[in-house]
Amino acid sequence: MKLLTHNLLSSHVRGLRPGGGFPLQIQASEVRVRPVPFNAAFVARLVPRLRWAALLEAAESLGHPSELPPEPAADYEGDESFLRRVHHILLEVEVLEGVLQCPDSGRRFPISRGIPNMLLSEEEA
Amino acid sequence: MEVKTSKGHLKVHKMKKKVLRKQVRAQHTLMRHEGIECISHPTQSLVIANAGLGNGMSRQQLLRIVEEYGLVETLLMPPNKPYSFVKYGTTEEAKKAFDALNGKEVTLEDFGQNIVLYINFVEKAQKTLKHRRVKHFGYEFCYDNNNVNKDKPLPGGLPEICDLFLEKCLKQGYIEHKPDQLTVNQYEPGQGIPPHIDTHSAFEDKIISLSLGAEIVMDFKHPDGHTVAIMLPRCSLLVMAGESRYLWTHGITPRKYDIIQASELGQKVGTITADVGDLTLNRRETRTSFTFRKVRRSPCNCIYPSVCDSQKGQQRQVQPSFPHNDMEASKLEQEYVHKVYEEIATHFSSTRHSPWPRIVEFLRSLPKGSIVADVGCGNGKYLGINKDLYMVGCDRSKNLADICGEKNFQAFVCDALSVPIRSGSCDACISIAVIHHFSTVERRLATICELARLLRPGGTALIYVWAMEQEYKNQKSKYLKEKNDSKDKEEEINIGGVQRPLSDQMPDSSSQDSACSDRLLNDLNDEGCAAKLVADSRLPVHTNRTSFHSQDLLVPWHLKGGTKKKGESIDTVSSPAGSKESQELSPVFHRYYHVFCEGELEAACRSLDCVRVQKSYYDQGNWCVVLEKL
Repeated sequence: MKLLTHNLLSSHVRGLRPGGGFPLQIQASEVRVRPVPFNAAFVARLVPRLRWAALLEAAESLGHPSELPPEPAADYEGDESFLRRVHHILLEVEVLEGVLQCPDSGRRFPISRGIPNMLLSEEEA
Repeated sequence: MEVKTSKGHLKVHKMKKKVLRKQVRAQHTLMRHEGIECISHPTQSLVIANAGLGNGMSRQQLLRIVEEYGLVETLLMPPNKPYSFVKYGTTEEAKKAFDALNGKEVTLEDFGQNIVLYINFVEKAQKTLKHRRVKHFGYEFCYDNNNVNKDKPLPGGLPEICDLFLEKCLKQGYIEHKPDQLTVNQYEPGQGIPPHIDTHSAFEDKIISLSLGAEIVMDFKHPDGHTVAIMLPRCSLLVMAGESRYLWTHGITPRKYDIIQASELGQKVGTITADVGDLTLNRRETRTSFTFRKVRRSPCNCIYPSVCDSQKGQQRQVQPSFPHNDMEASKLEQEYVHKVYEEIATHFSSTRHSPWPRIVEFLRSLPKGSIVADVGCGNGKYLGINKDLYMVGCDRSKNLADICGEKNFQAFVCDALSVPIRSGSCDACISIAVIHHFSTVERRLATICELARLLRPGGTALIYVWAMEQEYKNQKSKYLKEKNDSKDKEEEINIGGVQRPLSDQMPDSSSQDSACSDRLLNDLNDEGCAAKLVADSRLPVHTNRTSFHSQDLLVPWHLKGGTKKKGESIDTVSSPAGSKESQELSPVFHRYYHVFCEGELEAACRSLDCVRVQKSYYDQGNWCVVLEKL
C-alpha cells in the first residue's frame, strides 16, 4: 500500500460522524522503499487532490519524515525538488505488513503483502 | 510390395507418440504414488500399469496374456493395486512382451471394459512396498475414513515432552488451540505419503508439523493443477493454515532423492523454483515428523465447500432461490459469488488475460495523473493498462486482491456496496462485470450510487454488465460463438432471456455523503422488456454457451487443471475402487448472476440525480454505460 493509496482510504464503519474515519492511522511492521520513475507532470496533477496534513502525518508515522512544508507553496508546479519529494513519499514508500486503524471507531484493518483488508462484517457495514 | 503413403506414416508416428506420452505418464503416477522406479534399459522384470487386481484384471487372464511371450517365472499381483509385475526367464522374453503389450488395448473378461496396458521395465518385481511407520497419540487416526474416533480418546494423551514445545507454538501464534492429537510418521528413503487434504471435519484450522532427522521435499497441489514443491529443512516447523490446510493437497513422493536448490541446502524453508542452474540432487535420509492437530468438535465451515466433507452434503440439498430481502440477498451472494471466487481465484485469473479494447480505450482517454478506482478489479487485468494513471483496485475476494498485490498493483479487499474511499476523490471509476453479481434491484442500484459517490464532479464511470441478449443486431456474441471451441475459456459475456417483473419500490438510499436521490423504479417497467411472471422462484442453472432463459440464474464454472489439453483422457492409470486416491472429476461451481436486458442498466443510472448518462452501448454480450458525475 503506497501512501497515495492511504490518502484515499477512509474507514466506512457504520455510524461514524460526517467526515469521520479519516485518516486511518498506520501501524506498520514492514515498510519497503522502491524506486519509481519520476514524472513531474504526473505528480503535479496529483498534488491538489491530496489531503496534505494526512499525508505528512502518515509519512511521519512510518519513520519517513517527508521534509515537506505544512502546505504546498503556490508555485509548486514549477518546483522540481518539491515535486521529487512528493513523488518519493507518495509512490516510493510502501507498507507491506501492518494495520490501519480507524481514528473514530478503533476498528483495525490488517495489511498483508501490501494488500489492506477493509472488509467489514455484516454487523459493522 | 507395400507402399506406405506419407499420410500413413504420419498417422503411425502420431499414434506412437501418443502411446509414449501415456507410458511416461503411467511411469510418473507409479513413482509418485507407489514408489516404483521404472528404468529405461531392458531387464527380466516388467511392471504392467492398468492391469491389476485393483482395477478388475484377473490372474487367469493376465497369465494367459503374458505367457505368450516367454517363460513366466513370477507373476505378482498386489491386492487393490492397478498394476502387476511379471518376471521372465530372460531379458529377451521380457523385451518381446514389452514390444507387444505396450499400448495394447485389452478387454477385461470380468467386466467387458476396455483398458490400455502400459509397460515399463523395473529392477525387481515387488510384492509389497515397505510402508512408512506411524504412531498416534491422543486420538487414533483411522485410515479407512481418514477421520478420528472423537469419542474414544487414547489413554495417556500427548507425551509430556511435547508440552514446552507446544506452549512456545501457542505463544508465537502458530496455533490457536492446544493440540490434542499427535501423529508421528517415520519416512525411510523411498517412502512417502500420497497427496491428501487433512479431513476438514476432523481437525481445526492450523496444523503444525515438526521435521526431525533429515530434510525432505513436500509437494503441494491446488485443485486447478498448480503444484509447488517446498523444502522442509531439518528441525523446521511447517504451519499449514487457511488455503494450505483446507484447499491444497500435500504429499511426499516416495523416492530416494529430492531435487532442491543447491544454494539453500540445509538453510531455509523455501519453494523450489525452476532455476535449473541452482538445482541439485539431495539423497534422502530417515525423517521423522511430528504432526500436531486439534480435534474439531463442530462441523467445518470453511470457504472451500467443494473439498469440505462437512459442507459437501449440504450444498447438494439446498437449492437456492430468488431472494426476497436484503439478508437473503446477502446470504445468496456469500454462497454463490464470494465463496466461489475465493476458491476459483487462481484458475479464474488465468482465464482473464485479454483486456477488452473499448475499456482500454476508455482508460487511455483519461488525462495523465488521473486517480482511477477499479471496483471489482478481479485479477487486476486493467490496473496496469495506462501508466499515466494512478489506479487502485478493490475486490470482494481476498485471493483475487492478493493476485493484484503479487503483480505490484495497488489493491485492497472490500465490498462494492461500501467502498472505503473518500467521496469525490476519484477522477474516474470502472466496474467491469461486477454489478450483475448483486441479487436485488436495490443492491445493484446501491453499487452504482457508490461509484457515483467516489467521483469528483465531472468525473466519469464506465460500467459493464452481462446482457441477456447474447445475439444482438444479428451478431452472435463471442460467448455463443465459442460454443464449439474449447470449453475451458469462459468469456464474461451475458446472455438474454426472459425478464422477471421488477420490484416495486426502492427505499430511500441513506449512504453517507451521497448526493444521489432515488426515484421509484416503477418507471423501469416501461422500458421495453417483456415482463413474464416466473412461477417457481428457484434459480435455474444455466447451460454454458447457450442463450439465457432467465434474468436471475446460476452459471456453472468448471475448475480445470492448468495444462490439460483438449481431448486428453483423465488418467492412464485408473484408481481401484475404494482407494483413497479417488480420481475426482473437475469440480463445478455455481455463480449467481442477474443478467441485464436492453435499457435496464441505463434506466437504473438515469434514476439517479447526481449523474448523467454520457454513453450507452452494447459490447460483445455486455450492456455498457459511461456516467458523468454532475
